[in-house]
Amino acid sequence: MLWYKAWLETRARFLASLATLTIFCAVLVHHALYIACSNTFPCTEGWIRPGRQAEFYRLLLVTQEFLVFMWVLAVVLLGMGGIVREKALGTSSLTLSLPVSRTRLMRVRVGLGILEALALAVLPWATVFAISWIAKMPVLISQVGLYVLLLVGGGLVYFAMAVLVSSVVAGEYTAPALAVGVVLLGLIIFDAWLRRFNVWRLMTGDFSIDRDTYLLSGHLPWWGILASLSVAAVMLLASTLVVRRRDF
Amino acid sequence: MTNEPVILTHCLTKSYGAAEAVRALNLSVERNRITAFLGRNGAGKSTTIKMLLGMIRPTSGSGTLLGNQITDAEENRELRKRVAYVAEDKPLYGYMTVEQTIRFARSFYPDWRSDVEKKLLHDYELPLRRKVKALSKGMRTKLALLLAFARRPDLLILDEPSEGLDPVGIELLLQTLVVQAADGVSVFFSSHQIAEVERVADSVCILEKGCLLVDASLDHLRQSYRRIDLVLPTLVGEGEFLIPGVQRIQADGFHMSVFATNNAEAVVERAHGLNAISVEVSPVGLRDIFLETVREN
Amino acid sequence: MTKPSDTLYLYSDTANIMFFKPTPTTGQPLYLQLMQQIRHATETGVLQAGDQLPGIRTLAEELVVSPNTVAKAYCELEHDGVLELKQGSGAFVCANRRARSLAEQLPLARRRIRDLIERLRDDGLFDEEIRRAFEAELLYSAKIVKKR
Repeated sequence: MLWYKAWLETRARFLASLATLTIFCAVLVHHALYIACSNTFPCTEGWIRPGRQAEFYRLLLVTQEFLVFMWVLAVVLLGMGGIVREKALGTSSLTLSLPVSRTRLMRVRVGLGILEALALAVLPWATVFAISWIAKMPVLISQVGLYVLLLVGGGLVYFAMAVLVSSVVAGEYTAPALAVGVVLLGLIIFDAWLRRFNVWRLMTGDFSIDRDTYLLSGHLPWWGILASLSVAAVMLLASTLVVRRRDF
Repeated sequence: MTNEPVILTHCLTKSYGAAEAVRALNLSVERNRITAFLGRNGAGKSTTIKMLLGMIRPTSGSGTLLGNQITDAEENRELRKRVAYVAEDKPLYGYMTVEQTIRFARSFYPDWRSDVEKKLLHDYELPLRRKVKALSKGMRTKLALLLAFARRPDLLILDEPSEGLDPVGIELLLQTLVVQAADGVSVFFSSHQIAEVERVADSVCILEKGCLLVDASLDHLRQSYRRIDLVLPTLVGEGEFLIPGVQRIQADGFHMSVFATNNAEAVVERAHGLNAISVEVSPVGLRDIFLETVREN
Repeated sequence: MTKPSDTLYLYSDTANIMFFKPTPTTGQPLYLQLMQQIRHATETGVLQAGDQLPGIRTLAEELVVSPNTVAKAYCELEHDGVLELKQGSGAFVCANRRARSLAEQLPLARRRIRDLIERLRDDGLFDEEIRRAFEAELLYSAKIVKKR
């Protein structure tokens, strides 16, 4: 029942984030469709003039940019918790007396977090698709898939970073503050000096977007995604080692 | 069924920088007994227990619990299947209801006993649907204890179990401990309540500043520790009573008070040899044994 | 060390004895106090020969003492010939010579103690002083009584 416990612990954060992201995307795509369909909703004609289509997809790109920002914050929040936080709350003696290894505790927490992060990427985009479909101007499924892939593939590293921070720092406010601080620091550093390696740009589609059609090309930055996921894996491994060695 | 101790440590040590919380502890707790673990606050009791359960890594030394090495993560996980532990702060998840908490704990232990669970739920009057954070302190304590008692472990470790309980609750607790012991569970509990220890404990371990000062059966302590109050005809130096077994001598003029951990008869003989006017031998209760033991250090 | 639960019924049928919770503060091991209670009951006839005593688990729970205390008391009483421990069924009061002669000896002993106390009181000693003197002498010679 470790999954159940992890769910109870993250449920509120997850549902609140899900609601926020979904509503936000719904509003944005509705607005985008409204504009693209010349101020009508649903669209009375099928696909509209090519110029408008590009405009529509450009607005989707903007959606992704906002979504990345909110998704990263949500995922950092989801990465909080864990046994180190439990020690501050006083429940670690119960959790650690269970006949389960600390590695398994970490695996369940991370596993659920990843599933929740996935849901936070898929469901808002699914909403975008649903609304556009209702408006008789469905977004290309391939585009939805690509946006989700970029978001999760590039962004899980932020989740892993949050897990690592919460394995080292116990405070209720210091841990998330530190994690958000790292996010911002990363933004600044990578934007200023390491633009080629900026995972944020990867997630928002900056590396894959066609500037004429505003469609994501199938030419994805696979190396970037792989690198990002590898760093995430290393961070998660480090978190596990830190937690295994620590005294409670 | 082996007769090996359920808990056995060898030079178990935990230091935090220069300070030693636990010093070369050689603890031996026998099977099928109720053993009490006494000590002042900060003496190292909780640290010792946490080392036994793999929550704290010892600085040096080793130990076994139910035959498993405590310093090996995998073996420690194995032994935790057969050990029920309630920490001093009676930890519970505030966001779970009483029912969810029980279901959660039950899922980890095949030795769970539903009949005991139901009986204790009834005795403790715990509201199933209420969230733990909305429970009173006494109810939280009872729930935390229920999670341990509704099992059939080989070893029960309790850290200050009666803290937070009213006298009725304490009586129920002691009864449950005794019934568990009768069912073959070895009990190891730390407590500040000397009165309850004296009623149910078979053996007593006294820890002070990380060192084990006393490790004996309570009956032996009761039969050996004596306070001998003497009135002597002349002023006699304390050195006269430095007999093996004597722990402390207090002289006040012609009165002398001798605290002996054993061998009280020799003290009485010496007193008679010195023509003592009055010799009074009194038994020493556990509270005084404890106070004298930690005072000496 | 578990005893059959039906001793509870037997207990209420035969051995109609109420045990007093042993007091831990007198410096005397609890098992000795329990032994005294049982011995006293057999001597005064509250417990008859053949009566079954409560199981260890039951008695431990009722008196809130360690089952080892009860077990030791029963064991020692068996050693003294007061009880008979039957494997699997429980502890029964023995009907043997020693227990019976003790029942005869005890009133005599009490008369002697009564006389001694009277004389000590005549000498001017207070009851509290007499009691403490008795305790001191008993404890002094306690090591002879110790069996294990």
